[in-house]
Amino acid sequence: MSLRDVLSPFTAWKHVINDPVTIKDPFSREASDRYRGFHQNDMDKCIGCGSCEEICQNAAIDMVPVEGQNAGPGDSGLRPMIDYGRCCWCALCVDVCMTGSLTMSNEYTWVDSDPDAFRFVPGVDAKSWDLEPKGYQREDERRLTGTVRAPMGETCPEDRIGNFDEIVDGFTAEQAIIEADRCVECGLCVATCPAHMDIPDYISKVRDGDYEGGLQLLYETNPFSQACGRICTHKCETTCAAMHEGDAIAIRWLKRSITDSVPRERYFDLIQKPDVPETGQSVAIIGAGPAGLTTAYDLARKGHQVVVFEALDKPGGMMRYGIPEYRLPYHVLDHEISVIESMGVEIRCNMRVGQEISMDQLKTAYDAVVLSIGLHQGRSTRVPGSEKAEAAIDLLRRITAGEEVPVPEQVAVIGGGNVAMDIARSMARLQKIKHGKVGVTVTALEELDRFLADKEEIEEALEEGCDIFPARGPQEILVDGDTVTGLRTWKVDAIFDAEGRFAPKYDEDDEMVHPAGMVVEAIGQMADISLLGAELTEQLEWNRGRIMIDADGQTSEPWLWAAGDAVSGPDVIHAVADGHRVAVSISRMLTAKREALQ
Amino acid sequence: MSEANKEKLSGLTTVKEIMDTATSFEVVARDFYAALAPKVSKNIRWLVDELAEEEQGHVDLFTKLANDPKVSEAMAEKIQRPVADGKFSDCVQVPDLGENPDDQTVLQYALMRETAAMEQYTELATTAPEGPLKEAFTFLANEEAEHKEELEKIYYEIVHSGGV
Amino acid sequence: MFSFSPDRSQYPQPGPDGKVEVDLETGKYLKLWHGPNHPGITGNMSVELTVCGDEVVEGKTHVGYLHRGFEKLMERRTFIQVFPIVCRVCVPEPDFNEYCYAAAVEELAGIEVPEMATWIRTLILEMGRFNSYMMAMGGISGALGLGVVGQWMTYTRDLMLDRFEELTGARIYHMFILPGGVRAHLPEGFEGRMEEVLSTAERYLADAEKLMFHSSVFKTRTQGVGYIDPALFERYGVTGPNARAGGVAKDVRKDSPYLVYDQLDFTVHTEEASDIYARTMVRFKDLHETIQLIRQILKKMPKEGPVMGNLPNVLHWKIPRGETYIKGESSRGEYGYYLVTDGTGYPRRINVRGPSYTHAMALLEHLISGTNISDVAALMVSLHTYPPEIER
Repeated sequence: MSLRDVLSPFTAWKHVINDPVTIKDPFSREASDRYRGFHQNDMDKCIGCGSCEEICQNAAIDMVPVEGQNAGPGDSGLRPMIDYGRCCWCALCVDVCMTGSLTMSNEYTWVDSDPDAFRFVPGVDAKSWDLEPKGYQREDERRLTGTVRAPMGETCPEDRIGNFDEIVDGFTAEQAIIEADRCVECGLCVATCPAHMDIPDYISKVRDGDYEGGLQLLYETNPFSQACGRICTHKCETTCAAMHEGDAIAIRWLKRSITDSVPRERYFDLIQKPDVPETGQSVAIIGAGPAGLTTAYDLARKGHQVVVFEALDKPGGMMRYGIPEYRLPYHVLDHEISVIESMGVEIRCNMRVGQEISMDQLKTAYDAVVLSIGLHQGRSTRVPGSEKAEAAIDLLRRITAGEEVPVPEQVAVIGGGNVAMDIARSMARLQKIKHGKVGVTVTALEELDRFLADKEEIEEALEEGCDIFPARGPQEILVDGDTVTGLRTWKVDAIFDAEGRFAPKYDEDDEMVHPAGMVVEAIGQMADISLLGAELTEQLEWNRGRIMIDADGQTSEPWLWAAGDAVSGPDVIHAVADGHRVAVSISRMLTAKREALQ
Repeated sequence: MSEANKEKLSGLTTVKEIMDTATSFEVVARDFYAALAPKVSKNIRWLVDELAEEEQGHVDLFTKLANDPKVSEAMAEKIQRPVADGKFSDCVQVPDLGENPDDQTVLQYALMRETAAMEQYTELATTAPEGPLKEAFTFLANEEAEHKEELEKIYYEIVHSGGV
Repeated sequence: MFSFSPDRSQYPQPGPDGKVEVDLETGKYLKLWHGPNHPGITGNMSVELTVCGDEVVEGKTHVGYLHRGFEKLMERRTFIQVFPIVCRVCVPEPDFNEYCYAAAVEELAGIEVPEMATWIRTLILEMGRFNSYMMAMGGISGALGLGVVGQWMTYTRDLMLDRFEELTGARIYHMFILPGGVRAHLPEGFEGRMEEVLSTAERYLADAEKLMFHSSVFKTRTQGVGYIDPALFERYGVTGPNARAGGVAKDVRKDSPYLVYDQLDFTVHTEEASDIYARTMVRFKDLHETIQLIRQILKKMPKEGPVMGNLPNVLHWKIPRGETYIKGESSRGEYGYYLVTDGTGYPRRINVRGPSYTHAMALLEHLISGTNISDVAALMVSLHTYPPEIER
């Protein structure tokens, strides 16, 4: 043992003169910039999807209703309440937050004698750290749930413009699983879907590869799942939690992936008519569109006899005669309707009510009548020369029916909605077939970003060679003798005022003439109510131009119900929802009637 | 050149003349819509009914004004004739919308009328002497502007039905 | 200089089987509970000593005070929900749990980790090792009555906790190494502040060296005490500094490099004596190695790049059937996670291999017989065990 070993420990004494290193007042010590302290929640951004509640491994988060937060499209109205007796400050809730509303402040000291005080709703129950900018936030976008939509294959513009073949390929099984994986199952979409389809559950069936179970789930709420899987307006995707900081889930395509994955003949095994006794009661349905056929499907499954009267050659309504084949192939629609027919629904085509058979006859012969006539008359701009214009909806019907339609080398379309795109793209195809080149001009009042058409429709129309002139107001359809020569438009300076109301302002100096051998008006549609006759029209109550219906879809006449576009506006899934609603109401009435007789 | 035409050119008129034109403008419109209502199909009758109701309100306002002594005093006063007066006066003529006009026809007519009225009243509101008359024209100008906006919205919703 | 040579003739002699016949009725023996609340105990465990005079005849280790059933809890959590739990398995050096779990999940789920994240992970692990060694240094000094070293080490560890706090957002349970990467980049100016901590630590370590390795008291009480026969290493599963102090140059970082250790220069230090002094010395040298490793990492790591790979939706994350064992060199030896997945959204089984399990129970029981009561604390601390990782 050396002397050094005895002496060197004494060097510790040099620290006697050092200042103490202890923090004297730990309560005023500020935590680091990304410290995970008490939560903050931005009420403007939070949508109440509950992903935070879902991920919390301590069950420290409960989604609770709070005052001042109402449920609405894309917002459950619920907000996370955090129990700090359970919270472990892991911040997975912040990481998973779909909107980035939930963050953590760097405040970590809080003394209170009331244990219940440590359970509160951040952002609602005011706290001193609510506005603290420091604290834990995600470094960039959310990373715990996918943000990018799985790619969807479609035919390239060059290959699709010369024919009416379906454009969209549909997901492969792998793509579908990748896309289905992104769903956080918040259910905001279910509330948005007019038919309240069980979206998170059928998406989960896709994840599990259980397509047959998925199909049965689809049919519980929608007998037009094949059509909706292709052409639904997918409002669900506008309230999807995933659309914040990423792409909304491709709900529509996932639905399609289920319907496409089940072999056609299996449908008839999986979707069978329930074993219920025939009621002996009968219902007449006017119009074999989605509303009418959904009503028919539901009522037939309840044991009622259902006859659908269709004015046109084939059933399907606007899905067949409005939507072009490249968006919804006819064979898909045929198959879909055959499933409905397998429930015992009888569809009588070429039976125009008001001509072949009268409303009065229906009223007498059936226990109830459903009016689901759609919007089959085109509106006109009524600018000078508009009597020479074609109505888009009329042209589309003629194209579907296989009638010969004039195909000039140059066509001008007025309108910026989906029907305008449908006719523009249909005419473009016919032009390509006939003349080898496309010459379509689309003009609309709206700016491109305010077009009512779906974005994909606009993009695809452009890809296919249609010229789009946004913010052009039609002034005159130029006519030389009997021939249309073009369309004269003015620049629209503003279409909506500050409050978003329609108030077009034109710049008369900015005039354009779009040469065209045909001008098509695709600005809007209305219902052809002539079948009602003057007397019934007068008897019925109306609501601002539409037949007035109650919450069950019943008109002011006790025997008559109305459903679909004619009363709810143009939308397939809305029509399906209407059909269910009306079927429930009618069935209730019929049951009451049966019971009264017994 | 008649006196009246001279006055027209000089851009001056009397408050009385303005009042008379405006009153008959509103009365004619009210009567027109009231008469039209039973003729149109029931599904669009709400539109005509609403228009008639609106105009009745304006007729009531003018009746009240005419009985206001302060307004009576000002009747002989000269006032700048509004630029839009010609179009406005034309509207006193009852239009022919044909048998059983549809909603779009009625709306187009109503819109044209509201625009003329709004322009007329807006200008009058600035030129009218201070007092109940100015207040009334200001009120009417706002009223017609609002009404026009409402009609434009209805027009967009009905004619451009949901942009399908 | 004092000398101490007790008369041990009265002490019990082991029988032919090497065991001592203990009969408490004779009055020769006393049961003495060492722990669970004892400053010389590393965490919550206790040793039931049977003493005769001041000599330990036998010692039984008692654990269970910290049992929280984490491994079982994990089987009831989704893969992402396990992430906040794992760090709690070992309080003083939690990051190994995060790394091993994340790496196991990444392997079975086939997730790519960006390069930047692997560097930050390495940095975190070395920072954790720094803290753990600081605790060990302080612990061994404290167990031998050198309280001041304990205070210095705790202070420097606290400075490192500040760095942890600014990097990860928390001081103790960092919850920073997510499956797929790490949560964030280094904050601005981090390198500079880290350098301050490291140089402060070096100053204090220089002082501590004088009080420990150049102290006659420390030497007397540690040299030759708590000898582990290297022949026992295999049998008792001795790894890490405990083994390296017995001349076995084993280090997972060198032997099967993970993360970026193959791109870093460092020495595996060994000693031959295999006693408390040697074990402490290995840790001391290794601590300096860690300090230079942190410097090296900060210098060599990329300056930019993503820190997170692509994860599936973690809310319904299913991992295909499989099993894997991920190991790393923690401050106490080989640390590992054995993960079994069965295709569902939950781990079928997670088993944590903490070095303390072997060191603190069987090995300690073996070493403790024949020691003096006053050496028990130093012996335990010299094995550097953390009861929470024994009781997952």
